[in-house]
Amino acid sequence: MNEDYLWDKSGPPDPEIQKLEEILGALRYQPKPFEVPGNVVVLRPRNYVPLLAIAATLLLALLAGGIWLRVRSRNEPHQARVPSGPPVTSPKVEEEKTVPKPKPEKGLAPREHNVAVHYKRRNRTPGLTPREREEALAAKQQLMLALRVASEKINLAQRKIQSTSPTNQIKNHHRVG
Amino acid sequence: MKTLNIKKPLIAWLIIITTAFVASAQDSRIQMSSLDHLAAKASQTVDVSIDERLIRVAEKLFSNAKPDEKEIRKVLVGLKGIYVKSFEFETEGQVTPADVEQIQSQLRGPGWLRMVGVKSKKDGNFDVYLLMTGETIGGLAVLHTDQKELTVVNIVGPVDLEKLAKLEGQFGIPDLEIEPTKRSKKNDEK
Repeated sequence: MNEDYLWDKSGPPDPEIQKLEEILGALRYQPKPFEVPGNVVVLRPRNYVPLLAIAATLLLALLAGGIWLRVRSRNEPHQARVPSGPPVTSPKVEEEKTVPKPKPEKGLAPREHNVAVHYKRRNRTPGLTPREREEALAAKQQLMLALRVASEKINLAQRKIQSTSPTNQIKNHHRVG
Repeated sequence: MKTLNIKKPLIAWLIIITTAFVASAQDSRIQMSSLDHLAAKASQTVDVSIDERLIRVAEKLFSNAKPDEKEIRKVLVGLKGIYVKSFEFETEGQVTPADVEQIQSQLRGPGWLRMVGVKSKKDGNFDVYLLMTGETIGGLAVLHTDQKELTVVNIVGPVDLEKLAKLEGQFGIPDLEIEPTKRSKKNDEK
């Protein structure tokens, strides 16, 4: 057996190998186009882009809705959010109410009563630290001043309208701009 | 090419969302800083600037048990800001037409509706403007100009004028005599 021929077809051909080549040649790979059997359903690769786009828009819509609700809830009255409890008053009024005439509560020793009063006082504005309370009091005063001025001016204008004769220039529901 | 399919709805949504927010945030706040120079000439100045956060903070101190404070709470519902600038002068002519124009020009903007305009030689001019957002009131501005006074009140947010007007005299704060001349006049009228 010529091994060179067996190895790389160099050298003189070996009849024995050639015979084997002929026999096995029938089984050699024959390139031919791929044929799908008729009973097999071919699935095309699905295009997920429109689905992704829809999902993204829905997500954005939900996000926008969430932000919208949050903005709306911030504008809603705070009654629901303010914990129910004793009425909140300014510290001065609070002290007048609680300190001068403390009614001893039933079953409480004087010291215990003081603790109870102190506890009540501390819980007048739940959720507010002393600093926040100070800020709230300042804001309340400013707010009342602002509302007072606003109310006063509106009432003055109203009174002027009511008392002014038709010769004066009163323009109601006059659109500007 | 396929990325365009995503981009289009995304851009559309962004435009829609932005438009919605811009529309909802139609601001009724008036810029009043142009009047600050009057403080130096004024004998009495009131300058109140309360934003939404401060309103919400202060709101906590108003009791529902007290009728007058309850009324104030009702007025505060939904408000986003209250801004007041009031100047009183010893002498006349301190307020120039340009000062008033700075405010009035803003109130000629879209949405603002001049509800009341009163001109009185005795008590000066009163202008009440409302910012209408559809059927609801989105803001209020009151401009009072007198020989010796200029007051601008700006409330941002839904205002109930009736409730606001009723508040006068309900406050438990001392009389700060912001308008001593007006008060005496009012008393004279009574």
